[in-house]
Amino acid sequence: MSSEEAFDAALDLLRRLDPTHIQKHLLNLIELEPSLAEDLLSSTDTPLSVQRDPKSSQREYLCCDYNRDIDSYRSPWSNDYYPPLADADLVESPFPSGSLRKLEIIANDSFDIYRDLYYEGGISSVYLWDLEEESRDFAGVVLFKKSDQSSSNWDSIHVLEVIFENDVEATYRVTTTIILHLDKQQKITLSGNLTRQTEKTLSVPSDATEEQLNVAHITNLGTLIEDIESQMRNLLETVYFEKTRDIYHEVRSSITGSDKLNKANQEEVIKGLQNL
Amino acid sequence: MSQSKFESIINELVSHSSCGEIKEVYNDLLTITGENSKSTILDAIEQYNISNAVPVDLEGRFVIISKYNKEGSKFFDPKTSNLFSVDHLNLISLDIEKSENKLTDEQETIDKELLEYSQTDFPGDITYGVFSVPGEPNKTAILISCNRYNTANFWTGRWKSEYIYDNESKSLQGSIDVQVHYYEDGNVKFKSTEEFNESNVSSVVDKIKELEKNFERQLDNSFTDLNENQFKQLRRRLPVTRSKVNWGKAIGNYRLGKNAVEGN
Repeated sequence: MSSEEAFDAALDLLRRLDPTHIQKHLLNLIELEPSLAEDLLSSTDTPLSVQRDPKSSQREYLCCDYNRDIDSYRSPWSNDYYPPLADADLVESPFPSGSLRKLEIIANDSFDIYRDLYYEGGISSVYLWDLEEESRDFAGVVLFKKSDQSSSNWDSIHVLEVIFENDVEATYRVTTTIILHLDKQQKITLSGNLTRQTEKTLSVPSDATEEQLNVAHITNLGTLIEDIESQMRNLLETVYFEKTRDIYHEVRSSITGSDKLNKANQEEVIKGLQNL
Repeated sequence: MSQSKFESIINELVSHSSCGEIKEVYNDLLTITGENSKSTILDAIEQYNISNAVPVDLEGRFVIISKYNKEGSKFFDPKTSNLFSVDHLNLISLDIEKSENKLTDEQETIDKELLEYSQTDFPGDITYGVFSVPGEPNKTAILISCNRYNTANFWTGRWKSEYIYDNESKSLQGSIDVQVHYYEDGNVKFKSTEEFNESNVSSVVDKIKELEKNFERQLDNSFTDLNENQFKQLRRRLPVTRSKVNWGKAIGNYRLGKNAVEGN
């Protein structure tokens, strides 16, 4: 048994277990095999938690593995970790480079507007990080969270990578997971997640100022993520309400009845048509 | 980690599995924990099968296993008066021998009516069982277990209903438990439960039919309700402007426009 086999088995298992308890399953698996902890935590999407930034008027921000360091989370608003890290730890903490932080600020502002337009509420956060020194390539995550009064909840997690192909093109790779939980007084729950990957090569301006390049990135990423979310919203609607209901009726259906009854009815219909 | 803690974790993980996928869960757990855990995992699967009223192949006929027909480490089928062990991973019977257990006349009637019912409203693979409740001669347990597995297309679905009928008081208590699992490029689970407490029940199977038909109709309404009242409140199909977002430098205008309207 190699560690890779154990990791693959853990991912397969998580896909088969009740998604409403995914965080408990993760903890259980890590307790069974602690060596899986880092890989599982970084590759398994769980509902986003929320923290408030004391330096930004208690403004809410979303937390995941990508803005975590030890037990603190970096705020996209103030760029500080909360709870505050010790000075010795802070020296080692990951932050985006100066130029990337400028893009992060614009991204947070732009996706906050998108959030308002599509979610009419909720919370958004964007975190970016450099991929390699002396490289324009970068990675990041765009997050959205929306809850309603009836304990339903939507989490969008877009993990992205931007790779410059040359001076006029960049490839945008986005892995999107949407966690959707719907519930009706605990008697009915419809809950889980779907994941999709998208890749697109898009134009970026050559000989552009930093600001122009940042606007281009936001436009490219924004358009892409908007399209992805719209497609996935349609997919979620299909899977959650049509697919699931259809599978249910494969098990039990007082309308269509059993296979035997179906066949008998079909035969009667065919005979009737033949007699016409 | 202590043995009891280990067992507790294995039991919890197995209990959250979907029927029809238990072999994969077994293999996954074995890969993660090692061969030494085999018996612990199999014990958890046995508990899972019993509490989920899972059907077992008894020489070509499927029989539900449950706490009502458990006798020591074996199970009995009152319809054929067989006693048997179970291979819980492969769901087949072993060591078949004769048993004293059999259905009463009243239970035979229920059994026949369930046979007819099972052939009408259940396109899936259905199994049902009628058992006496141990230690309570006036009570009869009725279990219906129906499943449909399509692992090639990444879905499984199952229905379980369980009732206790009291011959003396004519009361019927029970519950329905439905689960659907869809796991192509994700993990989506649908669960629905309903509990019942009926009095003055003269015809048990007719009442069960009525309860289950109503449950199904309500369920269809609930799918629509969840869509209209919850899903659609979480994220709009399009902004109120009815257009996609105008990304770029001008995106700030949305805020200006909104603030102007709101008077901020």
